[in-house]
Amino acid sequence: MAPLNKNDLSNLSFILNKPNDVSFAERPKPSLASPHDVLVAVNYTGICGSDIHYWVHGAIGHYVVKDPMVLGHESAGTVVEVGDKVTSLKPGDRVALEPGYPCRRCTNCRAGHYNLCPEMAFAATPPIHGTLTGLWSSPADFCYKLPDNVSLQEGALIEPLAVAVHIVKQAAVTPGQSVVVMGAGPVGLLCAAVARAYGASKVVSVDIVQSKLDFARDFAATHVYASQRVSAEENAKAIRDLAGIPSGADAVIDASGAEPSIQASLHVVRNGGTYVQGGMGKPDINFPIMALCLKEVTAKGSFRYGAGDYALAVELVASGKVDVKKLITSVVGFKQAEEAFKKVKEGEAIKVLIAGPNEKM
Amino acid sequence: MNTELLTTVMKNPSLFLAGPGTARIQDRPVPTISDPHDVIVRVCFVGVCGSDVRRGDAVHFWKHGGIQTPVSDPLVMGHEASGTICAIGSAVTSVKVGDRVAIEPGHPCRRCTACKAGSYNLCPDIKFASAPPDTHGLLTKFWKAPEDFVYKVSDETGLDEEVLVEPLSVAVHTSRLAGIRPGDTVVIIGSGTIGLLSGAVARIFGAHRVILLDIAGEKLRFAAEYLGAETRLLDMEASPEESSEAVLSQFDLHDRVDVVIEASGAEASVQLGIYLLRLGGSYVQTGVGKPKLSIPMLALSEKELRVRGCFRYGAGDFALAVQLLDRRMVDLKPLISSVTPFERAPEAWDKTGRGEGIKNLVQGVLD
Repeated sequence: MAPLNKNDLSNLSFILNKPNDVSFAERPKPSLASPHDVLVAVNYTGICGSDIHYWVHGAIGHYVVKDPMVLGHESAGTVVEVGDKVTSLKPGDRVALEPGYPCRRCTNCRAGHYNLCPEMAFAATPPIHGTLTGLWSSPADFCYKLPDNVSLQEGALIEPLAVAVHIVKQAAVTPGQSVVVMGAGPVGLLCAAVARAYGASKVVSVDIVQSKLDFARDFAATHVYASQRVSAEENAKAIRDLAGIPSGADAVIDASGAEPSIQASLHVVRNGGTYVQGGMGKPDINFPIMALCLKEVTAKGSFRYGAGDYALAVELVASGKVDVKKLITSVVGFKQAEEAFKKVKEGEAIKVLIAGPNEKM
Repeated sequence: MNTELLTTVMKNPSLFLAGPGTARIQDRPVPTISDPHDVIVRVCFVGVCGSDVRRGDAVHFWKHGGIQTPVSDPLVMGHEASGTICAIGSAVTSVKVGDRVAIEPGHPCRRCTACKAGSYNLCPDIKFASAPPDTHGLLTKFWKAPEDFVYKVSDETGLDEEVLVEPLSVAVHTSRLAGIRPGDTVVIIGSGTIGLLSGAVARIFGAHRVILLDIAGEKLRFAAEYLGAETRLLDMEASPEESSEAVLSQFDLHDRVDVVIEASGAEASVQLGIYLLRLGGSYVQTGVGKPKLSIPMLALSEKELRVRGCFRYGAGDFALAVQLLDRRMVDLKPLISSVTPFERAPEAWDKTGRGEGIKNLVQGVLD
């Protein structure tokens, strides 16, 4: 395929002005800021719960949309230009975009925890513009070349898959273990798949929506459980009985953010097991702290993704261990972005992809 | 020509190694701020490391022109130094002009897999002071560094002492890799600068017993006084198995040595270290010696030893070393054996090469 020319490409962007007020506009095309950077034409972008949240509420925690901001951060694209010092990529290469750039200099960055960099510039976290746009500039080491057998649409799923990889690494899942995942949304489903790839022999997906559980069973879970309106301890016991893990699960991942699920998690994890908080819900909840203490549970947070997660995510897709294509509910044209957001908000879809503005549909 | 006069005329006098046994002072362009995060340091003291001179079987720079990569083009030597900030870039916030700093001499790329995973000491493209082919070192008047590779130090500590933060960082890195925990028994083989500093750090990490072994009695007498460590002179005629039995008997440590830090690089010591360890013990190779040597692999395997290589220092090591010095948890002054004027630096190399002194310093270029 002939290399793309930046001058031939549109930089139409999907912009959030204020809650529930979005518009399209051509923005100035980015240039390479450093010889280590590359320019990428965005081909596909998935919609994340956080994009929806900004669209509806205009803020997540202390991140507030004060000025119009381009949405989107789960993207794959094609390299258009490379800086003079870039040797790993060339124009025409198809890449998954890791959309957050750390400072590389602080204590966290130097210690290998760049996801915790206080100066992190993350796409579509205000005030940084997102990737629902035509052209995107990135340091070359944050673009991951897609092998020939991985499509650009699959490339747009690498971001949520990397989130799942990071969560499962925090959970320290090893072969033969049992894992319970609370929540069967995209991240929960992907956590289940990654846990299987890490050798877990039992993976239980838990949710309140039966259709999501049906999907989970076909996708990656060995068992599924529909949460009941009973106590956390009762739900936990039902999960242990269902999966045949009377002592509890080695690892429990919360990918729901829901208080009842978090509470059940502490009752389903085994003595000495690991609990990972991946999901985001209420900032403060009632937590079974006594269970944590008595059972000597290791509890960890998980935030986005760090060193090696994206590369592993690409490898999991390329080797066929995680079939992300199954999560793609539909693909829409760039101008249908607002409709796509509405559809995702209604909760009917798993992952909707928005084609880039230069994509011929 | 009078070299003292030369260095006042030159803008950035620097001491080059031009070939084995050939050193000369030449001028170089004064470095300038090119990135908003850069600082320029006026170098005040530079230390001499064993790697700068020939030592035993290992081939080093001064006598043989380079460790693994021979020095081809003239190269400025020195990688242990302290100084004062004389210029800062627009984005620098952690130091200001006039601040006294310890200098971390290796600048990684920050972009590769190793850097982003937190192992920047393993960056394949790291620019390390005095490393061939062309990364000039710290025996110079002015040195440019990114802000996060200089560390502001206490006004109470001399800049001569601050030079030893570099080998102290090696000791910190070693102790962290060894996984020393409170109550541990640590044996250190080799009582040079690194061995001594490793002993000090091991104590700080909570080691209950620290034992130093060496073939030189004088070094062990120093270790006993400096560290309050237990010591034993190794018999060069004895086999490593015999030495191991002698040490374990003398100190009543059969199956009780938790950690061995090998800080000499000598083959017999490496073997000794493996024999000394208890089942499941931890071994760290910090000393640099022959590239290939013979080890008791069966003993290593059957005792399920955890063996780690150790290379320079990584994330957090330098910062901790500065903290340890500035809080007076280690005293580095006793290790400073001499200070040689800049123009006569090769004399400091010769001293170190002859085994004279522990740490020999070179004075930075004076105005």
